[in-house]
Amino acid sequence: MNHADSPRPDWPEVPPGRAEVRFDYEEHRLDNGLRVILHEDRGAPIAAVHLMYHVGSKDEQAGRTGFAHLFEHLLFQGSEHVGDDEHFKLIQNAGGTLNGSTWFDRTNYFETVPSSHLDLALWLESDRMGFFAPSITQEKLDNQRAVVKNERRQAYENQPYGLAFETVLRLAFPEGHPYRHPTIGFMEDLDAATLANVHEFFDLYYGPNNAVLVLAGDFEAADALRRAERYFGEIPSRPRPDPVEVEPPAMDGERREAIFDRVHVPRVYIMYHAPSFNSPEFEASDLLAHLLADGKSSRLHHDLIYDKRVAGEVHAFTWPTESVGMFFLIATARPGVSAPTLEAAMLESVADLRERGLEEAEVAGARNRARRALVQQLNGVGERADAFAHAAVLRGDPGYVNDAFGRYRAVTTEGCERLAGELFTSRRRVVLHVVPEQGKGASA
Amino acid sequence: MSGPGTLDRTRPPPAEALRPLELPLFHRFRLDNGMRLLVAESSKLPEVSLRLIIEAGASGEPADRGGVAELTGRLLSEGAGPRSALQMAAWLDRLGAAFRARIGYDVAHLSMHFLSDVTPGALDYLRAVVREPAFAEAEVSRVRQERLDEIERQLDQPGILADHRFIRGVYGAHPYGRPVGGRRSTVARLGEKEVRAFHGRRYVPEGAVLIACGAVEAPAFRDAVERRFGDWAGAGSDGALRPPQASAGPGGPILVDRRHAAQAEIRVGRIGLPYGGKDFFPATVANAILGGLFNSRINMNLREDKGWTYGARSVFHFRRRAGPFVVSTAVESGAAAGAFREILAETEGLATRPPEEAELRLAKNALTLSLPRQFETPSLMTRKMVTQQVYALPEDYWETYVDRVEAVGSDEIVEVVRSHMTPESMHLVAVAAAAEVGSALAEFGQVTVEPAEPGEEAESP
Repeated sequence: MNHADSPRPDWPEVPPGRAEVRFDYEEHRLDNGLRVILHEDRGAPIAAVHLMYHVGSKDEQAGRTGFAHLFEHLLFQGSEHVGDDEHFKLIQNAGGTLNGSTWFDRTNYFETVPSSHLDLALWLESDRMGFFAPSITQEKLDNQRAVVKNERRQAYENQPYGLAFETVLRLAFPEGHPYRHPTIGFMEDLDAATLANVHEFFDLYYGPNNAVLVLAGDFEAADALRRAERYFGEIPSRPRPDPVEVEPPAMDGERREAIFDRVHVPRVYIMYHAPSFNSPEFEASDLLAHLLADGKSSRLHHDLIYDKRVAGEVHAFTWPTESVGMFFLIATARPGVSAPTLEAAMLESVADLRERGLEEAEVAGARNRARRALVQQLNGVGERADAFAHAAVLRGDPGYVNDAFGRYRAVTTEGCERLAGELFTSRRRVVLHVVPEQGKGASA
Repeated sequence: MSGPGTLDRTRPPPAEALRPLELPLFHRFRLDNGMRLLVAESSKLPEVSLRLIIEAGASGEPADRGGVAELTGRLLSEGAGPRSALQMAAWLDRLGAAFRARIGYDVAHLSMHFLSDVTPGALDYLRAVVREPAFAEAEVSRVRQERLDEIERQLDQPGILADHRFIRGVYGAHPYGRPVGGRRSTVARLGEKEVRAFHGRRYVPEGAVLIACGAVEAPAFRDAVERRFGDWAGAGSDGALRPPQASAGPGGPILVDRRHAAQAEIRVGRIGLPYGGKDFFPATVANAILGGLFNSRINMNLREDKGWTYGARSVFHFRRRAGPFVVSTAVESGAAAGAFREILAETEGLATRPPEEAELRLAKNALTLSLPRQFETPSLMTRKMVTQQVYALPEDYWETYVDRVEAVGSDEIVEVVRSHMTPESMHLVAVAAAAEVGSALAEFGQVTVEPAEPGEEAESP
């Protein structure tokens, strides 16, 4: 059967969501400039410690792409009082979990431990903030460089469509722009990283006054603050790094490219320059992503997978980046469907949304999905600590974690339509086709 | 406030008093039709996590209908009762709820997550998908085609190629040897008739368990479920799955040739153990030491010492029958032979260099002191109770878990390695560029090189 031109759904009546969510927190600043955010939750006997530094791949020098992330790896290799393999070992021995991550705008280090081990996490994090430099060696740098190169191979080079995002970034931003390169970096730049770079980077970006410490979980806030002060208070502040200059993208015309990959079917990436995480329109932008590809009733799912049957998978999301925003539409073709055909279908759905607008019930559903997703993202203390840290570092306001619920509720149908009209234009657009190499079996 | 001068940074701060572990209380109910219900109240946030377990896993498929469990699961929400596929989608999305049917080898997992203000609507939705799926011919053929397309896309993913080739070698014709979701040859033959038959026989109240955690009130929730499922009837279920038999010997390494691959995807393993058997706890602790944690021997060797990989891990996929034990990693191509060698040596080394007290302590702590974290949120609580239910573990399984882990001795670990993890019993699979790694693998036996797209999978639909 052909579903072509099946009508858009009739939306059932659903009572408006009333569930309220609020997380109490307090914010302090130590004398050395470290911001400390405390969120008590006496539920499970666990505590999350999250340290976010305001440095990411956008701060990297030319010829040193991937360095912020490589540096993050090195920070797990011990510090003056913590042995080379001790960091993971001590946390796992305490029954905790831990990791770190690097992105364009920030680098974070986090652990969730039984609350009886709160001091252990504070000791580990403060040691690498205050006493990292003496412990780093060429051998550790070479080992983690090899690990990171294998991470690049595993997560990007050896994955289908694995080089797509870095290609989109290259198309979207001009030479020298801080968002032009991927956080994982390029092999030759990873090879070029030196021990001197490690020391420079640490001195420049890893001071207490360039970081936010969030503690969330089973403790008494005043006591937790004393502990934070005890472990971090003596670490001297440093000169604040100059913020990297981020030029707004030109948005003066569409950029497009096609690349080959070892894949069976084409995939199309469409990126629009969009509101950043800091923008008052971020929630509307995120709702547009829910409207376009979250759920089987969403526009792209309905039009491309169910109705026209040109796609096997669709995705839409907006990156919560600090300085410039990026809104992605991604669709993977069904066998036999070409990239241009798929792109045309994607643009047709977007044009329909722009020109014919949205239904109230459709937007209400997207709002409900977004609010559900928010609750799920915040239901653990580790996730909540992460959210507070992101809000504090990227928006300067940890209260956003609570405000977000109201802000999503306040986005109107007209607000979504207005933003769609502004956003989905060719001058803001980057289009990438990833197409099968010759002889790989797809009739693109 | 203590001054900074008093702080001794030279040693880790000691642990403070640990609050005793409090596991959530599950209220247990049983409806007259045999369906069971487990409810844990946790009203911290206005959310509900639900899981309905149905005796409809992939292992129960007739051999020539591989993929029917998955296809049935996907079709539950593609039209039900009077509602079309589109109307079902609009209903769920309007509620803002999430629904997913994940098919395992042993059972089908129907999961929902939603905000508590839509609980009645979410339960109505669940009732519809479980009891009244329409299986309209048009939707069956569409979803089957989507599944076939997906099988084709999976050929691009080296990790999936490696997993599939590994289980085929280890289990042969046993149901654990085929991917959940089936292969192209069997999926292509499935239709409305097979899906209806599978649903009719398998989606029955007997054996069904609904687990709910979050902002619910147990007695009221029970009543709400009874109103929707109390008159659900039907009996079915065939005999239990036969235990897998190890093949005569693993033979030499299988090398799936993926030209110009940027890395080698590696799998090393064999038939492992069932959930909850006599060797379960020793094997669990052994695995934590060998490859279950970041600090485990294999990862420390391959990543932190050699720098060959971003990571390496081992896992026992405990199931109702003996699921696989497998070590997985992706290494730079030149290190493929080295990775096999080191993985085999580390596995055997668990018997020849048994864990010392500190290593054993770390593994046990990682398993037991993490329990409060593993029960933190409604979704996590649900998951822990699913384990207890699917594997028919004692009701106090999690309450007694710590003691049973603690009871494992170094000698039992050695015994588990000798009986279930010997190097000569391990199957070796690499998905890599044969031109780069082929000859290096000869030290592990006769290398069988296969194309990345075996004939069956390459057939056009």
